[in-house]
Amino acid sequence: MSEEIGPLQKFLRGRGMRKLRRDRMALAALSVIGLYLLIALSVMAGVLDNADVFDRVGPDNVAGFWGTQDGERRLDHHQLRIERVERAAKTTDPTKSLAEFRLGGLRASAGTPEEVLGRVEEAWRALDAVAAYDELDVSPEVGPLFEELDAKVAALYEEPAGFAGFVQSLRMSLGTDRQGRSILFRALYSTKVAVQIGVVASLISVLLGTLLGAAAGYFGGWVDHAVVWLYSTFSSIPWIVLLMVLAAMFRGGALDGTLIPVYAAFCMSFWISPCRVVRGEVMKLKELEYVQAASAIGFGRVRILLKHVVPNTAHLMFINFSLLFIGAIKAEVILSFLGLGVKNEPSWGVMINQAKAEVLNGFFWQIGTATALMVVLVLAFNILSDALQDAFDPKHV
Amino acid sequence: MWTYVARKLLYNIPVYLGIILFLMLALRVNDPAYAFLGKNAKPEDLLAIRAQLGLDQPFFMQYLEVLSFDFSIESWANKGLKVSDMLRASIVPSLSITLPALFLTSIISVSIAIISAYFRGRGVDRSLMVLAVVGMSVSFLVYIIFGQYWGAYLLTREGGIDAFAIGGFEPGLTHWRYYCLLPVLISVIVSMGYDTRFYRSVMVEESSRDYITTAVAKGAGKRKVMFVHMLKNAMIPIITRIMTTLPFLIMGSLLLEVYFNIPGMGRVLYKAIQEQDFPVIQSFVVIFAAFFILSNILTDVLYALVDPRVRLS
Amino acid sequence: MNLPPSSPRALAARCALALVAALAGLLGSCGGDAGAAQQTGKTFVYPIRSAGPGSLDPVRGSTTYDNQAVSLVYETLLQYKYLKRPLELEPLLCEAMPEVSEDGRVYTFRLKRGVLFHDDPCFEGGKGREMTAEDIVYSWKRLADKRIGTKNWWLVENTIAGFDAWREEQNAEGHEFDYAAPCEGLVVLDRYSLQVTLTEPVTRFLYVLAMFQLSVVPREAAELYDTGFSRHPVGTGPFTMREEDWLTSRSLDFHRSPVYRDERYPDEWMPEDEEHGRHLAAGQRLPIVDHVRVECFVQDQPMWLMFRTGKLDYAQIPAENYVDAIRKRTKTLKKSYRDEGITYHPVPLLDFIFRGFNMDDPVVGGYTEDRKKLRQAISLAIDLKEFNDTFYNSQNVVYDGPIPPKLAGHPPGGRSDKAYRGPQLERARKLLTEAGYPGGEGMPTIPYYTSLAANSSEQAEMMQRQLGQIGLKMQPILLEFPQLIQAIDKKKAMMFSFAWGSDYPDGENNLALFYGPNESPGSNHFNYKNEDFDRLYEQIRSMPPSPERDAIYTEMLEMLLEDVPYVGSMARTRNYLGTPWLKNFKPTEDFWNWPKYLDVDEALRP
Repeated sequence: MSEEIGPLQKFLRGRGMRKLRRDRMALAALSVIGLYLLIALSVMAGVLDNADVFDRVGPDNVAGFWGTQDGERRLDHHQLRIERVERAAKTTDPTKSLAEFRLGGLRASAGTPEEVLGRVEEAWRALDAVAAYDELDVSPEVGPLFEELDAKVAALYEEPAGFAGFVQSLRMSLGTDRQGRSILFRALYSTKVAVQIGVVASLISVLLGTLLGAAAGYFGGWVDHAVVWLYSTFSSIPWIVLLMVLAAMFRGGALDGTLIPVYAAFCMSFWISPCRVVRGEVMKLKELEYVQAASAIGFGRVRILLKHVVPNTAHLMFINFSLLFIGAIKAEVILSFLGLGVKNEPSWGVMINQAKAEVLNGFFWQIGTATALMVVLVLAFNILSDALQDAFDPKHV
Repeated sequence: MWTYVARKLLYNIPVYLGIILFLMLALRVNDPAYAFLGKNAKPEDLLAIRAQLGLDQPFFMQYLEVLSFDFSIESWANKGLKVSDMLRASIVPSLSITLPALFLTSIISVSIAIISAYFRGRGVDRSLMVLAVVGMSVSFLVYIIFGQYWGAYLLTREGGIDAFAIGGFEPGLTHWRYYCLLPVLISVIVSMGYDTRFYRSVMVEESSRDYITTAVAKGAGKRKVMFVHMLKNAMIPIITRIMTTLPFLIMGSLLLEVYFNIPGMGRVLYKAIQEQDFPVIQSFVVIFAAFFILSNILTDVLYALVDPRVRLS
Repeated sequence: MNLPPSSPRALAARCALALVAALAGLLGSCGGDAGAAQQTGKTFVYPIRSAGPGSLDPVRGSTTYDNQAVSLVYETLLQYKYLKRPLELEPLLCEAMPEVSEDGRVYTFRLKRGVLFHDDPCFEGGKGREMTAEDIVYSWKRLADKRIGTKNWWLVENTIAGFDAWREEQNAEGHEFDYAAPCEGLVVLDRYSLQVTLTEPVTRFLYVLAMFQLSVVPREAAELYDTGFSRHPVGTGPFTMREEDWLTSRSLDFHRSPVYRDERYPDEWMPEDEEHGRHLAAGQRLPIVDHVRVECFVQDQPMWLMFRTGKLDYAQIPAENYVDAIRKRTKTLKKSYRDEGITYHPVPLLDFIFRGFNMDDPVVGGYTEDRKKLRQAISLAIDLKEFNDTFYNSQNVVYDGPIPPKLAGHPPGGRSDKAYRGPQLERARKLLTEAGYPGGEGMPTIPYYTSLAANSSEQAEMMQRQLGQIGLKMQPILLEFPQLIQAIDKKKAMMFSFAWGSDYPDGENNLALFYGPNESPGSNHFNYKNEDFDRLYEQIRSMPPSPERDAIYTEMLEMLLEDVPYVGSMARTRNYLGTPWLKNFKPTEDFWNWPKYLDVDEALRP
């Protein structure tokens, strides 16, 4: 006696899934995606401090864990470090400010405000001694002066120990951007933004496209004409133009600055592809025996559509989802460039765009990190969608 | 045949009208009169401007006016310049990038795809495909940034070879290499991943067809079979795909134009949207959509000519 | 079958051909832009940080970009001496500075002879004719023509006798605008002489004469080209521009005018000019370069890139690249740049950035001792250097008094010992107590009006903190610019953050901000009314620049420093970088006709 197997279980036990499970690359890709998802969820749960992502944690454009920076940059970095402590020591309540002072994970070193200011003065003197030289990387006298400066500046700060120390080294491991923020943490936060945009945009587009496409394919007639007219219209407008017109629409309105215009832009252009594909598939499925049988029995058309036809397009939904996810992530970078993307949070697009000026000065940490994280995720999805297509749609092109 | 063409034309008219409709609605969400006068406009001025620009007419009248293809209207952001002049001036720069890019990409991608398909499954094929997938995963913008940095900036400053411009444009063949080759190369690198994979799979699929295996079984040389039989039929979807990208040629690669300051149609449109230059936006999209529709019809017709099954369906 | 030939040989052949063609093209012209404007002679290339000028018609233009372009093609009666600081006027289209009547109202200008307009089809036979006094009057009357526009009328409003009435009359409904109709304040004495009668004897009039909107234009061109005159300039200047040389949003090309008269590089210079070798060109015929090319940049990065690859002859450092070129601590140019021969020119602007008080306010306003001490205390609590360091990269100039740097009246080194410049917290607390608010007690929260700009809330926070140090409470009120102006005009703002950019390089423009009759809604936003000050103001505004006038400026300054109607001041700095092949470069933003003095050593260009 066979039980009624739900469509989902049928799907999971189906030939396609089995094939997929045997594909090692696909499984590797899935685990990578899973890892990213985990990161995104932990960021959403609050693992990353807001301060870590939005506030300054160090001087501008500090390099990451390998390589050293030239003398001029080191000088500028030290200047900022000294200025920060000095400012804290000169407020209305310096003792309080010094106690509360944070630069990333670093605290101000212990002492009364007068003592701190004394150290600050020494640090300035050491800095000016170095600054008196023109050629900071070549003159042999500069070396020991720099070491002196390093020591004096270090005396202003207290390095955290233990776990906090570990977090601090992690924080600075990939360097800082133009506003002194941690590149690693911003890149991790951007993962959450990317996953968020990708999932929402793709999910809505796929669902919308599938429903419309299935309806068009199944019902035919004016429904079909209407849907085809709709997607012909939208696909005639270049995607970027569509995006910009939408941005112009939302500009100055209540939703300006949120992610809603971004979602709207993606959904309006991304629904077309799944719609077309599903429509074609459904038109083929319509002719299949079991569908015709169901119709003969007298099941309502909508019921047939939803219970029998659409589930059989499930594999297409998955494939399209992963393809659109990739599209969304890559498109987000372009949107940021055009000034239409994410505004109040870091994202890979924001990071890459901000890195443009840094690249000119040979600072590749921000663009490298953002690109690397993005490439790995997109690559994983590419491999996954390839595998999905191989598994479920062997005739695909 | 002609009924097919007629049908296609008729069918696409509502599409075109739909585009214009959508566009006009979208642009009127934020009052264009405000855009023209600025935020602190006085109400009397707003009324006057609306009348002057024809914005107070009923929507239907405005719709008809846009459809009248009148391009002698003046741009709002560049006083004294007509939209038709702007259009005319921007076509050549756009095509200077997209046409060579399409040409180069097609040739290179097809060639690589042939190699890959020929050596299917072997080392060459796999490494090429890995390269393609990784290449596809990097953002367009990153290619542009590094392309400009290495090709235009570093090469000139450190290498002393001023081969590529940082940006800008001059018409004429002698200037082409300096201003356009770098953006074209970037465009090629970006599209190569997708195209190569697509063409390869078309060829692979074609190769697995019965008539190919039959030919091989009959003793025909693999090479001859590949290049003569397979390629001929694989060309259909390939050419079709190339043709579907034709309409986008005129729009230019918007990103490249904006980044490299090339005054093509894409950049003009981008600036128009930023400056809220109403007449320019409307005119450009009208032109582009018309071109797109016509090109679609052309593709379908060509396809029908080639594949009789299509026109009979 | 209409398919391309698919034989492998054909395909391969096509590929090969394409590759060879490409290679040939590549190798054919390596290095540089083949066929780029192959012009002989010296070319000076510089950037404009916008999509370009809006119009080249002096009367239709208003922005600094219009100014830059117009100043190449057109000329005014007077110009500023290129090298002299503080800025001084000298005759350009006239033989000498004008004769001024006893009462200071009647100016007589004697024009130079042989000043030719550029050759243009609008003239008979295509040859530009000589400029006469009629042309000057015509050009200025265009400012009054409402059909052209009203943007620049304010420059001469209420200045020339009978001109305002003339304007009303000519623009009246139903009346045909008649340029020939006489105006009592503008009289042509003879072919080369012009007499202007002012409504009031103010020397500021001379500065207006150096503004680009007052340039001379030929009637023939303005009438023939009508609105097209914006793109088809015809002037008397050292350079000409053809309509087709203006590629909108990209570039403008100017060429030396072949009919330009004999004008020479100045032989008057300042000591610092000798360091830069700017005195060596004295006596050379102008313009020195043959071509000027203006490149338009909407975004900063491409401009910076082009500068760094040697394509531009000078550039301003964009804010985000400041630390790349300048060593922050010493504010000097980094060695790698100096090694390339690049020169650094920090140019302070004529800014007066201040935090003003409403002197009519019942709490902080007034002239009694206790009120003055209150304001002095506030002034001593505010640390402008901290604002400068935090928000402006330390690039602003902090100075005492309302007269910006480079002008006569600006105290030496920007410091006056009469100033109440913070931070001096002890002194501030003492004065606050003497004012009747020990430790800030009894003092209500000060509403601080400021405009919504990028970092205005952070700046307001800093103010709050600084004032809090002496016990004062402050509440920031952030408004859109138009609302801010409204509040100030209606005298609602007790304390407000504002700025004034000089209309012309003379301290009188800033001192006018404290002249009683100019109170709100006029430019005297402080509503400062001091009879002694007003008397001195009325005296200096008819005085030409002189040591006597400088002394009065200082006297007025010290009155303001004592009464503290505002806390200030700051001026922004623009950082210019010049290339080693650009000579005679002394950048300034106060006037823009200096490209004619520049020289380029083409041999040094990469």
